[in-house]
Amino acid sequence: MSDLERPELVCPAGTPAALQSAVDAGADAVYLGFRDETNARNFPGLNFNRKELEAGIAYAHERGAKILVAINTFPRAGTPEIWHKAVDDAVTLGADALILADIGLIGYAARTHPQARLHLSVQAAASNPESIRFYAERFGVRRVVLPRVLTVQEIAALNPRIRPVETEVFVFGGLCVMAEGRCALSSYATGRSPNMNGVCSPAGHVRYVETAEGISSELGGFTINRFGRGEQAGYPTLCKGRFQAHGKTSYLFEEPTSLNTLAMLPDLIKAGVTAFKIEGRQRGRAYVGAVVRAFRAGVDAALAGKPMPEINLDDITEGGRQTTGAYERAWR
Amino acid sequence: MSNPSPRLEPKSGHAPFSPALLLGLALRPVRPSLLQPAFDAGLRAVVRRHPDMFERMGSFGDAAVCLDPVDLPFVLLMEPHATEPRLTVRASIEPEEVSATIRGPMATLIALAEGRVDGDALFFSRELVVEGDTEVIVALRNAIDGAGLDLMGDLLRGLGPFAGPVRGVGNLAASLFGWVGDEVESLRRSLIARALAAADAQNARLAELEAEVASLRKQVRAKGRAAS
Repeated sequence: MSDLERPELVCPAGTPAALQSAVDAGADAVYLGFRDETNARNFPGLNFNRKELEAGIAYAHERGAKILVAINTFPRAGTPEIWHKAVDDAVTLGADALILADIGLIGYAARTHPQARLHLSVQAAASNPESIRFYAERFGVRRVVLPRVLTVQEIAALNPRIRPVETEVFVFGGLCVMAEGRCALSSYATGRSPNMNGVCSPAGHVRYVETAEGISSELGGFTINRFGRGEQAGYPTLCKGRFQAHGKTSYLFEEPTSLNTLAMLPDLIKAGVTAFKIEGRQRGRAYVGAVVRAFRAGVDAALAGKPMPEINLDDITEGGRQTTGAYERAWR
Repeated sequence: MSNPSPRLEPKSGHAPFSPALLLGLALRPVRPSLLQPAFDAGLRAVVRRHPDMFERMGSFGDAAVCLDPVDLPFVLLMEPHATEPRLTVRASIEPEEVSATIRGPMATLIALAEGRVDGDALFFSRELVVEGDTEVIVALRNAIDGAGLDLMGDLLRGLGPFAGPVRGVGNLAASLFGWVGDEVESLRRSLIARALAAADAQNARLAELEAEVASLRKQVRAKGRAAS
């Protein structure tokens, strides 16, 4: 397989230690965010200050890896300054690409830093050729991170229609099942927005209550799930809440589960995907190291035409379950 | 915040059968204050090596957290202040003193601090129990994971020329701990062998029943469709 077709393994980092774990485990690129509301993982104690980003870029570049900076929330009307500064600083510090979602911010980046490589965040929810071509023609966007709603066949059909725009797809981790960048479920329950404040199910609104029967997870005062003793738990997001209706208790949108496409990597490469993205900037460096090693081995095996390695990632999945999500769309 | 128990005391009833539990039994008669100098020295050595560790706590630096190693007869009061962090050994902690509690086996808490295991995964598997202010817990987890701690290495570096011999003793202790762990696990399995077999049988029967229910539901749906 030629070098042009070699997919890039794009890995998450919430801290400098996680960045080092990702690079050491074989990441081709690491994506991260600043320690503020300019990115969609604005959690307490997470993310990078400017000094840490500078050191992280040096660490990655010395080892042949790239750094992609996610500035993928939507600026508040009238006060875009911190988003503009995030773009300016990321470019000045030598980031290899910016991952952006807001059309105004993309316009600012394209106008102010025409040499910068721009990627369209999954938060922009662009999944059809017309939408993607618009971002490419108008702003010079080079890559689109596809929403997790397309089948492999649909991705294969999309790629030739948007070239030379590259596609990046999620291959492992938390599974957002809503229209990304447009979901307001968490906002309704907490008053804080994933898309503008960078926090889906903000920790300040989450409570876990231990009882004799097990554990209850609450979001914004609403009980959204109860896990019995010994039952695997999941994230406290409304889309994975368990509710009672007509006397039946069940998951309404999605069960606690993690995306895992390790076995599908050859199909995704054949579909013309340029980059494989691992979700989980909020996870620890143990998760980052384990998942990056597994997918490094998977990508290398796929490129060498060898069988996919069987690597058990059960221990780090949400709810102890795995799915191939929409890629196979077995429910159709 | 509220807590289900009026006082945060060591929860030995939830502890797995392990060498740490046996160590906990041996430590039961020891007053927590006697252990304090060891924790002070340990924290000093770690902070010397990672002076910015608690900078990530940001506005949560004044919060206090109860760390409850469930297999040991004491709890730890962690005050992750950016410049003057403290770790105090206590017999118990009043709920009003802390913003949050993190509870789990000692070996798990150490592995978590060293970034050898993922905190979310431990929570999913219920090996780690958290209560109270989730923001404080998340900030503390990220601060410690982000520091890239190597507890044994950090402690040894503080010992200067004594590091070599102490490392030898430490490795020996770790091997011994591992051996005792294996023996304890064998003992645990033999003690509960009958219960495990019964649980396996029940699980198999449950799986059969679930499959049967799913099949019946499918038939009902198919009949419903045919009727309409």
